Amino acid sequence: MYRIRFHGRGGQGMKTASRILGRAFFLEGFEVQDAPRYGAERRGAPMFAYVRASRNTINERGIIRRPDLVVVADDTLVPVSAAGVLQGVTEHTVMLINSNEKPEVWKDRLNISGQVLTMPSVAEKEDRLEPRFISASCAGVAARLVGVISRTSLKQAISAELAHLGAAVVDKNLAGALESYDLMGSHSGSVTPGHEVPAYAYQNPEWIELPFEDARVSAPAIHATATSEKMKTGLWRTMRPVIDYSRCNRCWWVCSTFCPDSAISLDDEGYPQIDYEHCKGCMVCVAQCPSHAIHAIPEQEAEAGTPAGERL
Amino acid sequence: MSETVFKRMKSLPSAHLLGAGTSLCAGCGGLEALKEIYDILGEKTVIVNAAGCMTLLTIYPFTPFRGSWLYTAMASAPAGAQGIRDALDILLHKGRISPEEDLKVVVLTGDGAAYGMGLSSTSGAIERELDFLYICYDNEGYGNTGQQFSGATPHGARTSTSKGPRGFPGYKKDLFAIWSAHRPSYVATVVGAEALDLARKIEKAAGLKGPRLIIALSPCPTGWSYDPKETVEIGKLAVKTGVWPLKESINGEVVHTKVPHKRLPVEAYLERQGRFAHLFSPQRNKVLLKEIQARVDAYWERVSQPTLL
Repeated sequence: MYRIRFHGRGGQGMKTASRILGRAFFLEGFEVQDAPRYGAERRGAPMFAYVRASRNTINERGIIRRPDLVVVADDTLVPVSAAGVLQGVTEHTVMLINSNEKPEVWKDRLNISGQVLTMPSVAEKEDRLEPRFISASCAGVAARLVGVISRTSLKQAISAELAHLGAAVVDKNLAGALESYDLMGSHSGSVTPGHEVPAYAYQNPEWIELPFEDARVSAPAIHATATSEKMKTGLWRTMRPVIDYSRCNRCWWVCSTFCPDSAISLDDEGYPQIDYEHCKGCMVCVAQCPSHAIHAIPEQEAEAGTPAGERL
Repeated sequence: MSETVFKRMKSLPSAHLLGAGTSLCAGCGGLEALKEIYDILGEKTVIVNAAGCMTLLTIYPFTPFRGSWLYTAMASAPAGAQGIRDALDILLHKGRISPEEDLKVVVLTGDGAAYGMGLSSTSGAIERELDFLYICYDNEGYGNTGQQFSGATPHGARTSTSKGPRGFPGYKKDLFAIWSAHRPSYVATVVGAEALDLARKIEKAAGLKGPRLIIALSPCPTGWSYDPKETVEIGKLAVKTGVWPLKESINGEVVHTKVPHKRLPVEAYLERQGRFAHLFSPQRNKVLLKEIQARVDAYWERVSQPTLL
């Protein structure tokens, strides 16, 4: 049985990727399961989707614990423990990461013995804020890596799964996915199916058993206010808004008024400060700043230590 | 009516009460409106929240609010508000809380509850002259479950349950008129993108007694299919094209608070959103676009000639 896990952020299309791959497997005569997993969080939050495909009846249910292939649509997710990208990864698992960094860097950084690949590079978009829909390409590469899905089946699966978005979108995605499929030719078959696990070998998930407690103990009343601030939604961000203070006119705090997440406050001198622990990266401030003093940079560049955003 | 403290943009709050770190989508137009509203209502509020996207605000033990919050089923938030108001009144009457400790009771629901399931309990609450505020964040569909159409979905919009080439065949209910017909103390429409207009209306509503109801158009990047950064732009276009009239009704008298004198064509609003993409490609649906424009034109025609009403 093939067990494949797609990791991404809500809105990046990993649910669609799993559907495309699932359908392509199905067209090749496999029995298939595909399903997305979300928490209560939304667009931008870590999510994953999984696909199981087997020539036999699939009796397994639930999330995949021992993946044969892990596809990561966004490399900023790898260090986010809540995303669980590395969960159950062994030397058998192939990791496919969408990243500008080389596979060797990731292999070394993550200290994993299995194969690590990166998505074949796609030309940088003109507008950095334009969303990159990589679902079809991720599905295309995954299809090539398992080596049992033909170009025709992949094509058919994409056309069917994206049909509701119109012919132009289908064509664009087909082109990207087939190109990726072709580029990965030398890795065809590098993902091999994992063992079937018989029912008697079932292991409980790694959950924590909690004793049943009285409600006053297990769910105490919360008297603190605005506790949501403990949730670091800044991890959702792929692009970071950065303020160029030399251009900030200290207007009527347009950025602060329109920020949906209360993530922009004013300092004593009336300059806005962005709370990067909570900014989800919606870029409303970038679009609305009257003096165009806020621009967007990719989160990786920001983390690499660009000192932008500090007021000197 | 007393003078507003929100005379100009610079009088808008520059510090915000609603906590960050909620689970709502990046670029949520509903959260933007709620944040602006909460700044003005203040923390002495009890939020009564019917099931919907905003239920995700408060996931135990986390909450962005600085006061209490009660969760109700989809249709019954105004009934929940009645219970809280009664309890507060009893405490006041018995002297167990002082008038300064009294709280505002604020219902918070989406359009699914406001335009549909909860309409009957709202009607009852207005009838009983319940002293409460009702905030409806209207993203024109059941956004929390994948944007199925609701009573608030506009004509022609694609939703996950109206995917055909003509989109949603029904028409957006005129909830403002339905609520106003009950003659509550106050009804208003707002949008987060028009922050000053919103602030004045919430200030006015907060100063009144009885049922006060607000509909906040809530551009929704996920359900309406546009880039999150355009939330404010789309909200402004809804007003500039006349699609979302900003108005208020005090004891039945309707006043438009921001009349777009040079209305932009509705296309300027529609073409920015994926949910209307089928009106523009593969070919323009001239008939449907014309119909949508004609309905907006007819509305403003009636506004300019009140005798037609």
